[in-house]
Amino acid sequence: MTAEVVGGVDVAPPTVASRGRTARLRELAPFLPAGLLLGVLFFVPLAVMFIFSLWTTNANLDIVPTWNLDNYAQFFQTGAYVRTLAKTVAMGAAVTTICLLFSLAVAYFLARYISRRWARVALLVIIVPFWSSYLLRVYSWQAILGEKGALNQVLMGLGLISEPSRLFVYNDIGTFIVLTYVYLPFAILVLYASLERFDYTQLTAAQDLGASPSRAFRYILLPQIRPGLITAAIFVFIPILGEFLTPSMVGGASGLLIANLIQTFFKNALVPQGAALGLLIVAFVTVLLIIFRKYLRVEDVYARG
Amino acid sequence: MTVLDQTHSRRRFLQLTGAVGATAALGGVLQACNVIGGGGAATTGTFNWMTWSDHYIQSQLDKIAKDTNINTAISELAGNAEGYAKLKEVKGQLDKISGDAMWVPNAYAKDGLIEPFDINELKVSSQLYSFAREFPYWQSSEGYMAYPFGWSPIMIYYDPAKVTGDPNDWQVLLDPKYKGRVVVENQPEEIVAYMARAAGFDKPYDLTDDQLTTVKGYLEKLKPNVLKFAQQATDSVASMISGEAWLITGNLGNEDRVKDGGGPEIKGYVPKEGTVGWHDGEMIVKEGVNKALIKPFLEQSQQAELIAENFLANGRPLFNEKAYQILTDQGKKDQADRYLYAKAPDVLPTMVLKGPGTSTDKSIQLFNEVFGTS
Repeated sequence: MTAEVVGGVDVAPPTVASRGRTARLRELAPFLPAGLLLGVLFFVPLAVMFIFSLWTTNANLDIVPTWNLDNYAQFFQTGAYVRTLAKTVAMGAAVTTICLLFSLAVAYFLARYISRRWARVALLVIIVPFWSSYLLRVYSWQAILGEKGALNQVLMGLGLISEPSRLFVYNDIGTFIVLTYVYLPFAILVLYASLERFDYTQLTAAQDLGASPSRAFRYILLPQIRPGLITAAIFVFIPILGEFLTPSMVGGASGLLIANLIQTFFKNALVPQGAALGLLIVAFVTVLLIIFRKYLRVEDVYARG
Repeated sequence: MTVLDQTHSRRRFLQLTGAVGATAALGGVLQACNVIGGGGAATTGTFNWMTWSDHYIQSQLDKIAKDTNINTAISELAGNAEGYAKLKEVKGQLDKISGDAMWVPNAYAKDGLIEPFDINELKVSSQLYSFAREFPYWQSSEGYMAYPFGWSPIMIYYDPAKVTGDPNDWQVLLDPKYKGRVVVENQPEEIVAYMARAAGFDKPYDLTDDQLTTVKGYLEKLKPNVLKFAQQATDSVASMISGEAWLITGNLGNEDRVKDGGGPEIKGYVPKEGTVGWHDGEMIVKEGVNKALIKPFLEQSQQAELIAENFLANGRPLFNEKAYQILTDQGKKDQADRYLYAKAPDVLPTMVLKGPGTSTDKSIQLFNEVFGTS
């Protein structure tokens, strides 16, 4: 490699390594704004939260910067906190399962049996509730599920019950119903996007080759829409871990989830305790996402032996 | 062809977004300068006020704004601990905050968050009962810590058609007969204090570890009876009106609120074990950039005519003596007396005033421990 003479000055050509670095930096440059945004709005607050979680609060509700793991230890030593987290995970799993089942049926029907035009109309109807505020929708459910609510009136009108039931609200059932209602549209939209792209002749081909409809569904369709299923599960399950409004409004005193406890800590100036609990949820979600990520690859159904 | 129809190169796109960003940033800087500039002695403008919903009537605020050019930007206050935590975070972004009796000296003043003032400097303060200008715990060398507003003991209300035996104590809230029929406000430290009173403890905000263990037992008995935690006092009243709740805790005057809302005739009482109570006031935030507006605003908003109207709208006693006279002249003396309007000197000493104590942090943790999943 020889030096070039430019304007009477010897200029050494860029080495392969420095060219590679420059090219790499140029490739990464477009991600800089997003990276900055993520850093400033996500990682910095997370770091601040982490620092707070290692401090304590005194009886005057002042934050005392004494470094320790007491808040984390307190979580694991307090049975009620661990049980509340377990209950939250169970609630999230139950709502996610029912949402996936319902949304798979609805999205499959829309994608396969309805013309694209009418499917879009149906999807519009599904997302209409999003035009009103979350709070308003949950309040509406209070009115529907309450003792004097519409559901009780219908059941009494049909003669199925003789007096208003208190089964549907201010308990875990109420929370389950409302969370399912709130998150179902997300699951439907995600799964519809997956199913719309699926080539349904593959199912016919599988059946021509002797597979039963259920076998074709299981071994041909499901593996190919797996990223959609996982994404829908993520969209439903993870927000539920941070849900505090629905449980506080329709869950009653016995239906509190982990986010309600976190909210109580923050609202009452016990920031370090709230931060520790919040970070435990973040850690839990991160582990789940790592696990889910592995399953986001589309399986090559033809390569299976 | 509009600008939206044009095809843009990456350079052009970056130029456009850069210009938009710079404009937004400039706007933010100008806004900040404006806010900082508002820290002078301006007597018109908008101040930020964190308060409970019963501390103002919107039509009154509109009239004050029209007459004086002093506007209010209000954020809702759910509880003392929350307000205290919020003020510590935002400091000068608030100019005025409402708080209960012992929270004023033991939290806000202790941390230097508020600016005491000479209450007698305000002409309107001559309308207050004299004792309200002399609460010893609100006095400091720099002046009075808050402008007194209203007060009430926390009472238990019940529907006599559903709750039998004319209860007169806290224990009724623990009776298994009333499973899922009790509604209390979502204020953990207060709920723990109620149970401390039920257990017979005189200092419900200064509980020892042994006392907290006893109170935990009471909370565990209370838990199945609590239908829900009301976010505001109005939610408790609504639960009584709908018939969902048979027992609620709350301020003076809930009988009328429930009746006015079309609910049943209910009864209320101060539990025999003693109760907690509050009297509140308006504090001037020391770092408030618009704090110069607060005294002129108080001169207007605390006038007896407005306070009398507030009493009729919200139904709990206030500290404005002249308003009591107005209510009497309006033929509302019976209602005012029923709400103990002129009885503050007799009743206030009988209740433990709300305030942060030595066990507030442990009380909140205890609440979470009990009301988490058992």
